[in-house]
Amino acid sequence: MFLLLALLQQIDSTVPVERGQRLEVSTYAGEIAVKTWNRNAVRVVADPDSRATVEIDRSATVVTVRTQRRRGGPSMVDLQITAPAWMALDLSGVYTDVTVVGARGPIAVETVQGEVSVEGGDGLVSLQSVHGSVSLRGAKGSLEVHSVNEDVSVTGSSGEVTAETVNGSVTLSKVDGTSVTATSVNGDLDYDGPIRDGGRYTFSTHNGDITLSVAEASNASVSVSTFNGEFESSFPVTLTETRKGKRFSFRLGTGSAQVTLESFQGTIQLVRPGAARSARDEDHDEDWE
Amino acid sequence: MTRTRPGPVTLRRELTSKSDSDAVDAALAASGDAHAFERLYRGHLARVHSLARRMLDDDDADEATQDVFVRAWEKLGTFRGESAFGTWLHRLAINVILGRRERRGIQRQRFLEGEGIMETVPGRRTQPETSMDMETAIARLPEGARQIFVLHDVEGYRHEEIADMLGLATGTSKSQLHRARLALRQHLDR
Amino acid sequence: MSDQWSDRLSEYLDGDLTEAEHLAMEAHVEGCRECAETLAGLRRTVMRARSLEDRPPAHDLWSGIAERIGTPARIAAAPRRRRIAFSVPQLLAAGIALAVLSGGSVWLLQPSPLTIARPLVEVPGDAPVTQVGVGTVKGYDAAVDDLERVLAQGRGKLDSATVRILEQNLAIIDRALAQARQAVAADSANLYLNSHLAETMRRKIDLLRQAATLVSAAS
Repeated sequence: MFLLLALLQQIDSTVPVERGQRLEVSTYAGEIAVKTWNRNAVRVVADPDSRATVEIDRSATVVTVRTQRRRGGPSMVDLQITAPAWMALDLSGVYTDVTVVGARGPIAVETVQGEVSVEGGDGLVSLQSVHGSVSLRGAKGSLEVHSVNEDVSVTGSSGEVTAETVNGSVTLSKVDGTSVTATSVNGDLDYDGPIRDGGRYTFSTHNGDITLSVAEASNASVSVSTFNGEFESSFPVTLTETRKGKRFSFRLGTGSAQVTLESFQGTIQLVRPGAARSARDEDHDEDWE
Repeated sequence: MTRTRPGPVTLRRELTSKSDSDAVDAALAASGDAHAFERLYRGHLARVHSLARRMLDDDDADEATQDVFVRAWEKLGTFRGESAFGTWLHRLAINVILGRRERRGIQRQRFLEGEGIMETVPGRRTQPETSMDMETAIARLPEGARQIFVLHDVEGYRHEEIADMLGLATGTSKSQLHRARLALRQHLDR
Repeated sequence: MSDQWSDRLSEYLDGDLTEAEHLAMEAHVEGCRECAETLAGLRRTVMRARSLEDRPPAHDLWSGIAERIGTPARIAAAPRRRRIAFSVPQLLAAGIALAVLSGGSVWLLQPSPLTIARPLVEVPGDAPVTQVGVGTVKGYDAAVDDLERVLAQGRGKLDSATVRILEQNLAIIDRALAQARQAVAADSANLYLNSHLAETMRRKIDLLRQAATLVSAAS
């Protein structure tokens, strides 16, 4: 069934959906805001200007919501969407901020100049922006957050986490990761979450500090590498050897988890849980270019 | 802002930065490249031989060292690169060395019972140079206590691991270590 | 003297006591001269143990080993070019720094002082492996050139803010690359520096690809 709505006034449409269908939203400029309900239906509310149309299309597997620019220049459409919590979301735009609240299925978000803020997500969650911060809360599964020029953060989530940016910080807070990879080029990395037995935690930045929160009963084999950075610990750590080029390893407890901390020229710091934030605020007074 | 002080972390004695090229050599040796294996041998010989010397007697150390490298060649296929090659080799060396000890089956005084036990164990005389004193002093410890001391204080293993390796209770490892240290201190401070 | 305190001095030194026991022992040692001296002596002993140096044996043992592993002690043949078929997972498992580029080509990073007969690594797929010197590889440079050309030709299709952001971040990565290359040049056997360089090169290619994708999406 194909529905085309090319109204000049506000759009407010609800289409029924079936379990298993996913939602694809693609726009050019303007906000995509998704919240959830427990009806098996998708509601789209939009207020397009005269140069845009909003198309809603439905097939057996996917519901698509697309804004089209008419020729003649940019247009802004803010889309307010309500979808079932179970629905998989695929949201993309260029000059688009994306927010999602209450989702409980897989989520993919891609934007260029816009912020991404997602609360929820289960399964494969992949969020990406170029010039905009990306933040994810309350998700579980295989989580990927990417930005280029801004910070990324993951809070209160669990699973396998990959967080990457170029010119920004990575903050992972209350993250229960079985495998965590956090990388930046010009930015700090912060991790405040348990270190699970058998887990793999890799933190790598070029020009930034790394602050890792380590609970007392953690079991980890920790390897620290830096070119001309420093290593500090706010709890007892015995370092009797460092090697030229500043690389060394040590063991906590049984050494079960693998922790790799690499900063080319920043400070690598271990703190106790809860102290990560204050350590960072106290220490960090440099301006990155 | 933060300081470090000695505390509850065991530092495993790590190898030097040459272990980085070990990874390449290990991969080559695993596929049959004896040149690569020889390079590994040369790089790790001092370490393995010193371990053998300290854990066993001088006369057994040469043969034990050869046993270690032959076993390493045989087992290279199982090296998965999850740790540094040197760490893997080291663990293998300990297994080989402890295996030798069991096979010899000579009943000797293994542990420190009380004070002054070191006087009853024959040792060699050496020049009063600091490290030789230490090595000599270690050699004078009874075998069990010596191995516990070497594994813990020289090689950096934890009591749980040592107890596992030697088939002891953790408490025994701790008390023997303490006695070994006291005995060594006595000998060295004379 | 053997009592509940002095018997546990080693555990105290090694940090094996509980928090409460540790504090109690700390307080005791402060007031007990004998224990304080013993503790100092134990510490000295441990430090000496930790600083023991390794010595090789008086005679070399290689010939005995070579014989037992079934290899002649010296391989007389000139170094041959050997083809070694490792799968990428095997190489990764051996801890060899690999940079896997988008597009499937794989590099083998080797510390340059090594003089191994240059291995060719076969990887699944059509991409050949190229040996990397200190971060200058034909395959990588060509990929960067291609993508930079796409970006240069297509930048008019992107808005100026996006172009500015992309160029700014490419410059950040280039600066990091220069620093990493310099570090590797001074310490070429350092696996961390080599893999950090490879990782930074990957970041650059990734960003260029992302930029190229944006250009083509805007077309």
